[in-house]
Amino acid sequence: MRIDSIAKLSQWRQECQAKLAAQKRKVLVCLGPGCLAGGSDEILEEFKRIVAEKKLADISVEAVKKTGCHGFCARGPLVVIEPEGIFYSKVKKANVAEIVETTLEKGKLVEKLLYTDPRTDKTYTDYKEIPFYARQERISLRNVGQIDPDEIGEYVARGGYAALAKVLTEMKPQDVIDAVSQSGLRGRGGGGFPTGRKWATCAREESDIRYVLCNGDEGDPGAFMDRCIMEGDPHSVLEGMIICAYAVGSREGYVYVREEYPLAVINMQKAIDAAHECGLLGANILASGFSYDIKISRGGGAFVCGESSALMRSVAGEVGEPRAKYIRSVVKGLHDKPTVLNNVETYATVPVIMEKGADWFRSIGTEKSTGTKAFSLAGKVRNTGLIEVPMGISLREIIFDIGGGIPDGREFKAVQTGGPSGGCLPADKLDLPVDFDTLTRAGSMMGSGGMIIMDDRTCAVDVARYFLNFLVEESCGKCVPCREGLYQLHKLCVKICEGKATENDLALMERLSKVIQTASLCGLGQSGPNPFVSTVQYFRDEYLAHIRDKKCPAGVCRELITYTINDKCTGCLACIKVCPVDAITGEKKKLHVIDQEACTRCGSCYAVCNFDAVDIV
Amino acid sequence: MKYQFEVIPSKCIGCRTCELACAFAHAQNQKPGKSRIYPLAYAPDKYVPVTCLQCDDAACVKSCMFNALRRNEETGAVELDKERCVKCGACVAACPFGCALIDDVHDEIVKCDLCGGSPACAAFCPTKALVYKRV
Amino acid sequence: MVHITINGKVVKAAEGEMLLTVLKREGIDIPALCHHEAIEPTGNCRLCMVEISRAEWEGWKKHVTSCLYPVEDGLIVNTHTPEVIEIRKTIIDLQLANCPDSDVIQKMAEEYGIYKTSYETVPEGDNCIMCYACTRICEVLGKSAISAVMRGHKKVIAPPFGEEPPDCIGCLACAQICPTNVIPWTDTDSTRTIWKKTFDLITCTSCGKAVITKDFAEYLMAQRQIPKEYFETCDECKRMATARKMGEIVTKAQEAAL
Ligand SMILES: Cc1cc2nc3c(=O)[nH]c(=O)nc-3n(C[C@H](O)[C@H](O)[C@H](O)COP(=O)(O)O)c2cc1C
Ligand code: SF4
Ligand code: FES
Repeated sequence: MRIDSIAKLSQWRQECQAKLAAQKRKVLVCLGPGCLAGGSDEILEEFKRIVAEKKLADISVEAVKKTGCHGFCARGPLVVIEPEGIFYSKVKKANVAEIVETTLEKGKLVEKLLYTDPRTDKTYTDYKEIPFYARQERISLRNVGQIDPDEIGEYVARGGYAALAKVLTEMKPQDVIDAVSQSGLRGRGGGGFPTGRKWATCAREESDIRYVLCNGDEGDPGAFMDRCIMEGDPHSVLEGMIICAYAVGSREGYVYVREEYPLAVINMQKAIDAAHECGLLGANILASGFSYDIKISRGGGAFVCGESSALMRSVAGEVGEPRAKYIRSVVKGLHDKPTVLNNVETYATVPVIMEKGADWFRSIGTEKSTGTKAFSLAGKVRNTGLIEVPMGISLREIIFDIGGGIPDGREFKAVQTGGPSGGCLPADKLDLPVDFDTLTRAGSMMGSGGMIIMDDRTCAVDVARYFLNFLVEESCGKCVPCREGLYQLHKLCVKICEGKATENDLALMERLSKVIQTASLCGLGQSGPNPFVSTVQYFRDEYLAHIRDKKCPAGVCRELITYTINDKCTGCLACIKVCPVDAITGEKKKLHVIDQEACTRCGSCYAVCNFDAVDIV
Repeated sequence: MKYQFEVIPSKCIGCRTCELACAFAHAQNQKPGKSRIYPLAYAPDKYVPVTCLQCDDAACVKSCMFNALRRNEETGAVELDKERCVKCGACVAACPFGCALIDDVHDEIVKCDLCGGSPACAAFCPTKALVYKRV
Repeated sequence: MVHITINGKVVKAAEGEMLLTVLKREGIDIPALCHHEAIEPTGNCRLCMVEISRAEWEGWKKHVTSCLYPVEDGLIVNTHTPEVIEIRKTIIDLQLANCPDSDVIQKMAEEYGIYKTSYETVPEGDNCIMCYACTRICEVLGKSAISAVMRGHKKVIAPPFGEEPPDCIGCLACAQICPTNVIPWTDTDSTRTIWKKTFDLITCTSCGKAVITKDFAEYLMAQRQIPKEYFETCDECKRMATARKMGEIVTKAQEAAL
């Protein structure tokens, strides 16, 4: 069906909405990455099978839907039953029959699958009331987890492509740029560059060809916001890109998707095809005379390919390596033509701004960081998953109110924001408002939105070592400060972890870091020393403990710890059985002893002991 | 072209003064360079000073893939830009007269540059077998 | 024509000219390992960094690699600030750890007062400073027979799949341009081997001395229309032939005059 007028689009929207309204009951099965790993595809099939078999009055097979990530990955696989919003967590295939019988047939709840907040022991039915969801405000994730990403009709029913229609009929390109500028939208991919200003520069450049590209490379370990948007609501990205293309006068663009995201590639491609078929993409969009087409370009699989100049080279079929130049890519980008590159989340936000207006967007967030931001919570936090919150919210609210705090009775130690080259912020920074500038001032950065929470059993030096290692592996190796500098910085960090470093080494690391930051060619190297710089800023004592006292206070660095058995030992033999080097001796019901010479400090005994009888010192 | 370099073999007595003059004119760090001119005997006691003829359609210029050889419109010489030269030897192989050379001492490719407009060989030639004149 | 200020002195330069070219013309000593006029600048070595600023930046300044920074009117450049020196020293120090056996790097380090690296010597170091000069020069020839493969510290310059590079013509441009001389090749009387590929050398038809590889000659014949016979003799024999030919002309002219 080709939609070649605004009237037709409205009519189609009404039809889509009517079709959805006719589905009294809906079962939404999350097929986001987390739930999928828990077998949610089988749960979906099981629902479809049983619902088809039972021929229920209130629900049809079509109303059993797959959705993108619902966010609360820690509790997956997730199933939501609409219209009540009944939230079933940790669902297994075996539970499906019971859910159908109890909830869909009898209208009752399967209590054991409901979510209970471990802190308050309160049980929730409607997911919207769960603290994890209640504090969120979803703009870029507005449809993720709510719609079947393969159905363009569901996107349209929820107001999709209305912004595009409005832009094409009521706004001139300059109006669009002005609106984006006024909204204060800043890039969600890391740098936080004002999106409106980027578009304006590109539009101003004299050129026959301009490109509008989308950065879906998302190389930060632990981050999956962009993935979830591309998988769960691909049309929102396309709509944002088309609006941008109209604003800057582009006819062609690419979505650069990371090789490791096959489902994102499939869903984006399906969305592109569907939009094409409806006349929402390609030649003469909505019969407005404006044409724009999008192709998918698959990433080279390296972290550095997310860097803009490397990405553009990769799209052009060259080696995905950054290019040094002092001419910005909005002026000379892909194939040396003016190019706008924005992040997935940035584009997904644009249609909402067009629809609701710049002032509405500005009213959310802070003055200089407007709107909302998606984050992925990972590490030592109860509610790992995907969230979206207004800018300016405190780290404490994110980690404790939404994230549910630190599990296993441990203490919060630090949060790493901004991906591998971001920084670690300690407990006394928990009340900082989360916005671009505050995080940068505190020595970290917003980055693309990965948040890794660490508890008191995490060693700051070891964290720096870990991220430096990642960056050494991911450095493209083209420029010397990054290739050789990060390599040496990592070596020195390892030296500290092994208790072999001196304070001179620490001073050398600090000097070296400064040079790497100023002299590196691209953003990877320029922010590469951050894991070290931010940890040494906030956890200097811990560094010094490794250096002066040859101790790892968190009990992590192998070379600096010893495992001993205290008198809580019941003599259960468990540790003796797991020790890979037979370093533990003892008899049943008698205190066991670790031979320090033989011990390799692998931690197996500590992990297996049920009586807290293994000490790390 | 404003100047022309002329070789008059009949006047050459094979004294090799030009060779010396050239080598010293192209000295670097007190080390004389490789001469760009060779008075060669074609018959007993008969000599031709062989040097670059600054050909119009020069093979050396054509052969250089890096644009290191360019004509100086002022002097008429085809000059070698050391900063651009990679020392691949294409010009040495391509020059049909053998007048692009490898200077082993200074590890570089050399050819006659007419000394930037006042060729030392012509200045020192006792018999005026080498003439550099305005045309 | 633009005016820029270098270390307090106002200097004229052509618009769009690279800053390093201007600095060199002004006789300012700037270390630069990956720069070569025959290839496009890529900014790998980072040694040529200088500090730039502008009057309207109100004291704000930044560091740029001069080899690929096009000059613009009003630019204020400082080439030897403590920060710039610190950058250069650190980079040379890092390079010294990476290529402890390179005399080029050793010499450069000594100029900056570094006699021993502050870092741990890289065990697998091979004196390659990863400046890409070789790959870039090969690109100029339109061959790109070799390229940088792998990532980060493991990055090496190599032919495709580490095998004999099919596009290589044995011209030696890569080996010649290499600032640290790490690309090995061997010549016999009639063959040349580089990148594990062996080429036949054209040998002078009169004296037998090697001229260039057959592949390179064929390349120049096709690309630049150089006649085949130009490559058949060595430069020395070509000079002798020239003398004989000119001598013939002289003799004939003299006989005619008699
Ligand atoms: C090493 C490196 C990796 C990057 N990776 C990503 C990425 O995965 N996704 C992304 O959107 N931006 C990434 N960026 C930032 C991009 O270069 C670019 O700034 C961004 O895509 C612009 O979009 P925005 O303005 O919407 O944020 C990376 C930057 C660097 C230096
Ligand atoms: S900073 Fe690192 S990633 Fe960027 S160009 Fe240099 S080596 Fe490559
Ligand atoms: S010469 Fe400029 S970076 Fe190497």
